[in-house]
Amino acid sequence: MIDTQPVIRTEGLTKVFGKVRALDGLDLTVRPGEVHGFLGPNGSGKSTTIRVILGLMKATSGRAELFGGDPWRDAPRLHRRLAYVAGDVALWPALTGGQCLDILGATQGGVDERRRADLVERFELDPTKRVRDYSKGNRQKVALIAALAADADLLVLDEPTSGLDPLMEQAFQQCVRERRDDGVTVLLSSHMMGEVEALADRVSIIRRGRTVTSGTLADLRSRTRSVVHAVTAQKPDGLADADGVADYKQDGPHGQVDSRFTIDPDHLDSVIGRLHAAEIRTLTVTPPSLDSLFLRNYGPTPDPDEAARDESHTETAR
Amino acid sequence: MTDRRNGTSERTNGLGIMLGIVGRIQRRSALIWVFALGATMLGTAAAVAALYDTPAKIHTYAEAVTSGNALVAINGKVEGIDSLGGVIQDEFGFMAAFLLPLLGIALVARSTRREEESGRLELLLGGRIARHEPALAALIVATATIAATGMMFAIGLAVSGVPLARSMLYALSLAGLAFVFAGLAALLAQLTRHARDVYAWSLILLAASVVLRGVGDVTETWLTWLSPLGWAEKAAPFGDQRWWTLAIPLAVGVTLSGAALRLAARRDLGSALVRGGAGPEHASAWLRSPIGLAIWIHRPATLGWFAGGALLTGAMGALTQQALDAMVGNSAFAEAMGITHGRPLDGFVAAVQLYLAVIATGYVVQAIGTLRAEEADGRLETRLSGTLSRTRWLASHSLVVLAGLIVIVLGCSLVLGLATAISVGDMAEFGPTLSAGLAYLPAELVLAGLALAVYGLRPRMFPIAWAGYAAVTFIAFLGPGLKFPQWVLDLSPTTHAGNPPEGAIQFGALTITAAVALALIVMGFAAFRRRGVPQS
Ligand SMILES: Nc1ncnc2c1ncn2[C@@H]1O[C@H](COP(=O)(O)OP(=O)(O)OP(=O)(O)O)[C@@H](O)[C@H]1O
Ligand SMILES: [Mg+2]
Repeated sequence: MIDTQPVIRTEGLTKVFGKVRALDGLDLTVRPGEVHGFLGPNGSGKSTTIRVILGLMKATSGRAELFGGDPWRDAPRLHRRLAYVAGDVALWPALTGGQCLDILGATQGGVDERRRADLVERFELDPTKRVRDYSKGNRQKVALIAALAADADLLVLDEPTSGLDPLMEQAFQQCVRERRDDGVTVLLSSHMMGEVEALADRVSIIRRGRTVTSGTLADLRSRTRSVVHAVTAQKPDGLADADGVADYKQDGPHGQVDSRFTIDPDHLDSVIGRLHAAEIRTLTVTPPSLDSLFLRNYGPTPDPDEAARDESHTETAR
Repeated sequence: MTDRRNGTSERTNGLGIMLGIVGRIQRRSALIWVFALGATMLGTAAAVAALYDTPAKIHTYAEAVTSGNALVAINGKVEGIDSLGGVIQDEFGFMAAFLLPLLGIALVARSTRREEESGRLELLLGGRIARHEPALAALIVATATIAATGMMFAIGLAVSGVPLARSMLYALSLAGLAFVFAGLAALLAQLTRHARDVYAWSLILLAASVVLRGVGDVTETWLTWLSPLGWAEKAAPFGDQRWWTLAIPLAVGVTLSGAALRLAARRDLGSALVRGGAGPEHASAWLRSPIGLAIWIHRPATLGWFAGGALLTGAMGALTQQALDAMVGNSAFAEAMGITHGRPLDGFVAAVQLYLAVIATGYVVQAIGTLRAEEADGRLETRLSGTLSRTRWLASHSLVVLAGLIVIVLGCSLVLGLATAISVGDMAEFGPTLSAGLAYLPAELVLAGLALAVYGLRPRMFPIAWAGYAAVTFIAFLGPGLKFPQWVLDLSPTTHAGNPPEGAIQFGALTITAAVALALIVMGFAAFRRRGVPQS
């Protein structure tokens, strides 16, 4: 019953534009029924990967499979089963939103008119307005509604929420969940961590055209260290040398002991035991956010001070 | 470009920054304009000087051209035509009436409305650029380019042996013409929403100027004075040399520019005077089909070129009888029109048909150029992400452009046939006029093929298609009159139609021309299937 053939699979994909190596051995597997987050900094090759997967561009080398077929040779047939929202939504300025929805729908495999009407309402789109009179967010909505209303097995969304306000962002997330519950597979490219964390079952992170890591969110988290900040009444016993603890820092200004450190997930339990013995006053355990996964790219363990400060992850990619 | 500024920098001059930006955007196209126009003028002047090398020959030419109204309507009324400069002004007249306004329009439209439409302007205005400065910078760069073009003209004329003062006046009168249209385009850029509309409205006003000037010249009334083309003509560089007339285009251009700047300083970004209201909630069935959408995309341009063609063929057809009267007993006039043998009526129709072929060719190149815009703006990517294949998409557009071409050619030939018949009072020429129009289809399709091939292979190189069109125009308009060598004439596919109906339609040559067109079209389709989308 469960189709185990990947919906999308690329192996060692490379794409060279003149002197620019946009993709450099990219691997990506999207399984049926999952929401797959596709993360990477600007210019890392997300849109290029998607264009190769859709058969819009031909890979320089490597393999790309869509529904088990070759997208470059068989695009129109394979596209029957998918809907796509491009990174830069471009529509015909002189047409109305409703007309654009119909035109986009006409080349998709099929459109569920009831769902479309429902989506128009939920996204509060006025379909009688001309595209040129729409704001950027409203133009984005037209493309999103067209894709979400399609009778597709796969949604390919390239940074779909750029320009949406938080309310609409919520509506979008809800719609994607509903589609997933209908069994639709979703490839969601983004650099909005919150969105991917909220939606994705699995995540692939790429950088400079290469896959850095991929797996379920839990999987990725379990391979990364959490940051602990504890205030205890007494000095915790042997914490600095305990298994799994690193970056240990301690000071005790007002008769309390302030400990900061990072811990790998396997040893969290025993360390909390030691803190408990020292009488916990306050305790925060920050699991690694996707943000830090993404920005630090599994580099050296995060410095607890730095991890505690919210906006301090400014490692510059070189 | 790692231009680093620290916090201590003083208020930097916004206009200076803007000039740098516009200059960079425009550098290439401005250079191409200056040199292409300069070369055209120099080529015309040199050819005229070589061909009419004695006063007697110039005199014969002048007599011929002034002996009827047909040529006056097309090339304008040249005062002092009995001189080398006069002949040049006459030969260059038709092209100048078209190219110089276009120079002003293109330079301004590209760096104002087009930039605003793309959202790039918003980026700049967020910085320290004042609202009116982009338009001002565009006008300054356009004016500088126009001035450079004028200088090239003056030098080209002087080199060919035209007196310096007269060369200067002629060059300045043409520059004034371009300047008026630059100011007009700047104003329209503030009033309309799209660069396309700036072109459309400017060209409509240009057409009106052509008609006013033509009617004014033929009827010898003050109507000429209402047309920017008339102001250039009334400078009479080779006649009375009315230097003061230069003040008219200067004043009008400055007024238009000033109005544009005032509007730019006041209105909201992205807004326009002319707004569209609400529209239908659903697309009709035909708009949903690839062909239907292609028709919708190409319709405005098709109608525009059709209107231009019908205007030209209708006006010329209506003057047929006068042209024939002028030709009676005056072979030099016929020669000036490129008619060397055969019946005068056939020769006249053939000359008009060649003009129509140039218009129709411009249409196909421009229509295929819009495919590039579909791709660069990002719509093609979305279009091809569905069940529509590349071949079907390109085929729908090609078919629609082909249909548009046939409509333009047949429609304008019909207008020409009718106008001619009414003018000479005889319907006999109707059939040959239509078939002459159709005989140019293969030639027009060669340029369509060239445009498709360039689009399929390297859309970025699309200016090659326009260069091909420029060459065809140059050869078609000036080749016969200036007696280019046969091999140069043969470079243009229009030559191979055999100049119908004066010459017999060359079916052998037409077959070869059609085969070349087909090969180019197939090449375009094959390359398009193979390349990545989008490429800009
Ligand atoms: N048609 C093209 N020609 C030349 N270079 C290109 C082309 N398309 C993409 N590139 C280059 O390939 C690289 C990857 O681009 P891509 O658009 O795939 O990045 P991205 O991950 O989608 O970035 P963003 O998050 O900004 O959308 C970039 O360096 C880009 O400049
Ligand atoms: Mg992208």
